[in-house]
Amino acid sequence: MSFLNLSLGELLGLAGAISAGVVALYFFDRSKRRQRVSTLRFWTAADVRTELKHRRRIQQPWSLILQLLSIALLLLALAGPRWGGEDNSSRDHVVILDNSAWMGSRARQGTLMDDAKASARAYLKSLPARDRVMIVRADALATPVTAFESNRQALEDAIRQTQPGASALNLEQAFEFAQRAQKLQSPRAGEIVFAGAGRVAEQEASLAAIPSNVRFLPVTATGENVGLRKIGLRRSPAAPDTWDIFVVVRNYGARPHVVDLALQFGGAPAGSKQIALKPGSEEQATFSYRTRVNGWLEARIINARDAFPQDDRAVIELPAQKALRVMVYSTEPQLLRALIAANPQVDAVFEAPSKYDPQVKADIVVLDRFAPSARPRADSIWIEPPASGSPVPVKATRQAVKLERWRPETTLGAGLRSKDVMLESAEVFAAAQGDIPVAETAEGPLIVGRIGSPKIVAIGFHPMRSSLKYELATPLLVANILRWMAPETFRRLEVQAGTVGTVNVALEKGTDPASVHVLAENQRPLPFTIEGNALRFFSGAPGTVRVVTGDRELVYSLTLPDVAESVWQAPPTVRRGIPRASAQGVSATDLWPWLALLGGLGLFIDWLLFGRSRAFRLRATRMVARANWRTWRKAS
Amino acid sequence: MPEPLIETALLEKLERLTIHWQKSLPGLVGGHNTSRFSGSGQEFLDHRHFHHGDDVRAVNWRVFLRLEKLFLKMFQLEPRIPVRLLVDVSRSMETGEIPKFDYARKLAAALCYVGLVRLDSICLQPFSDKLSDAFTASGGRHRFQPAVNFLSGVKPTGQTNFLEVAREFVSKFPQRGLVIVISDFLDDGDCEKPLQYLSDFGHELILVQVWSAEDREPPWVGELELEDAETGMHVELAFDAGARAQYTAAFDEYSQVLRRVALRNGGRYVSVATDVPVDEAIFGPLVRSGAVE
Repeated sequence: MSFLNLSLGELLGLAGAISAGVVALYFFDRSKRRQRVSTLRFWTAADVRTELKHRRRIQQPWSLILQLLSIALLLLALAGPRWGGEDNSSRDHVVILDNSAWMGSRARQGTLMDDAKASARAYLKSLPARDRVMIVRADALATPVTAFESNRQALEDAIRQTQPGASALNLEQAFEFAQRAQKLQSPRAGEIVFAGAGRVAEQEASLAAIPSNVRFLPVTATGENVGLRKIGLRRSPAAPDTWDIFVVVRNYGARPHVVDLALQFGGAPAGSKQIALKPGSEEQATFSYRTRVNGWLEARIINARDAFPQDDRAVIELPAQKALRVMVYSTEPQLLRALIAANPQVDAVFEAPSKYDPQVKADIVVLDRFAPSARPRADSIWIEPPASGSPVPVKATRQAVKLERWRPETTLGAGLRSKDVMLESAEVFAAAQGDIPVAETAEGPLIVGRIGSPKIVAIGFHPMRSSLKYELATPLLVANILRWMAPETFRRLEVQAGTVGTVNVALEKGTDPASVHVLAENQRPLPFTIEGNALRFFSGAPGTVRVVTGDRELVYSLTLPDVAESVWQAPPTVRRGIPRASAQGVSATDLWPWLALLGGLGLFIDWLLFGRSRAFRLRATRMVARANWRTWRKAS
Repeated sequence: MPEPLIETALLEKLERLTIHWQKSLPGLVGGHNTSRFSGSGQEFLDHRHFHHGDDVRAVNWRVFLRLEKLFLKMFQLEPRIPVRLLVDVSRSMETGEIPKFDYARKLAAALCYVGLVRLDSICLQPFSDKLSDAFTASGGRHRFQPAVNFLSGVKPTGQTNFLEVAREFVSKFPQRGLVIVISDFLDDGDCEKPLQYLSDFGHELILVQVWSAEDREPPWVGELELEDAETGMHVELAFDAGARAQYTAAFDEYSQVLRRVALRNGGRYVSVATDVPVDEAIFGPLVRSGAVE
């Protein structure tokens, strides 16, 4: 006998609670009843009945027994017991279909995904028709495709439409999801069936804390695999037009492999290397490639004939190297040439002040000791401007001025610390509200930055004609000004090709979390977390993600399929393979209708014999009384 | 709007009834029941010899001319006597699933209407342990509404004391008449003597015993804590089917006592259960007893 709806403990608990209630109600109902009557003369004076000598606790024990028995029968009916045959009640199963990237691997016929689909379909066919099944696709995320469904056609459609994804399998999460779904939505949990290759991260390889009702339908690839794991590119610090390229290749197989790795840029060969890989190991190859133009860089493993060709090729778009155009108007260009043109990212042009053009096509204009009638439209650096034409009003011009203080807390003054600087001659500016003072004397600022469009920096002395020209502060000051005016030109760019899923980024020490932005391809911000110096974000679909941290920009081209390193070793207790189709012929007998009928009959009999059906009893009593009265009258 | 005490349909049916008494009671002419007392009636009754002091207008002069003796013609008298309705308003009348008090009021109102239609002199006299204020009306159905208002204003109160009530009654109403007592007669004392007392004073008694089904055959079983509606006394006892039979026998015995009291004094006894509709009670037991015809 089996109880479908209630466990034995629940049944006994319920029966106990209800029986206690019935007994309490019984004592309440059959307890002494207060009644108001017209007179007591017939009760006491007449020879009717003795007064109460003792209270009987249970006056109608058969009524109580009948009630308790009937309620027990009704509760049993509620529990839905069955007699004989197998347990044929409907159960709810969850089929987890592995659709990680690895499922695109070649199998004997087709792909691993095809094998897993076939296994899932075979499992469905083995189930009784009344069983319900939920299909869950599992890669980095467990996604339910159907609810608990008994429509086999809908389930097969869901299986057929499943395709390999781009991320690795998170098996633990998939099991947790399936278990929770059964707990919350299923009255009778069936099996959790995992159909797939089970290629997981190393920490999940020996996953043993799994639900007890797991069944494993394994599929295996036919060959080995060597694939690209990661590609990283960044501009060489020494030569900004040169890209340093790092390629990581992994051997996922059990045998050593030697592969040829080739790079192409815009269809032209950009380098090649032969790499020997031990089983389960990674190797990194380094390349350098010089180009200023943008284009597609392709990395390819040439001679790998493995089971999973999707990770043998990766393509990254390289951005163009943009130079900063600076137009310098000076009568002494040789003084400034070393200062400005030394930066390889700056394309400086020197002209005489007489050739000044306010609409010159340049990113920054430097005006050395002259003030044009029309100010330049681009950002401008004014060196010792005449007081009459200075963009920042000149308060005074002083001789033998001591530079008292730098403002290193500002972007323009970052890193400037030279002390005891004595300037032969300098202009002291009258800074307006919002201006950024960079260097100051006691009388006022000597260098002022003005925020706006365009940006302006006014320097009250010539840095190469004063004693400051021997100080480190001079090139730093110019570099700060150029970076402040054109930050995108000097932003350090790193490009990486990786796998979808969780991406960890190492931040530089002291990075302000407020300056960090993680943007998807459509420029929408992606959620991320920062723990210490590690930034972490998740991308479930292939695409490009940009991480901007101050003056550093990282571009992640998440196009490589994420192939996990290990294969899940299912514990020996886990059931495997397709179960036998359950026998449909033997059926159990439902007992609940008979139990309910008996229970109801018992209560009805109790009501008839002992019940306080007032209306019924009163009416009957009156009818008898009236008949008796008529008889008595006739007789008398 | 409160429910009317008597339905109009019932009033129409009551029009054809007359309160009937059996005793020959003295009274003014104008009644509708013959009396053994001779008087100034229309129907010839007898002749008798003339005595001094007799009214010479009643001498049969034709007989004197033929026999030369004075004979007096006597006529049958139909006196108009007072009908007094004693309505029990004690607390015991409140009990019962259908309260006896309401039933008694309806019954009293119906009998009052019958009397008023026949131009009887009606007195509605509530009582419990003593007589309350009475309502008196004579002649005409137009007096019925005040009677109904009076009955509607009566509230159950007090404890039944027939002895005291009988004493008060005979002193308050010296003229003999018809006394209709509507009560459950559940006096803790003896009500046989007081009723006999009333009868001995010359009143004709019609006893209408109103009882509820619970009064005669209590439906309850098991342990009971009973409270007397009038005295508030409590008694605890166990009650079962055997006890119920004994109880009913005691009740019937008591009803027999009342019946005997009424009949032996030339009166009538009517027993009415509250679950019998008022019109059925009037046209059934009351008509059969001869109280109304």
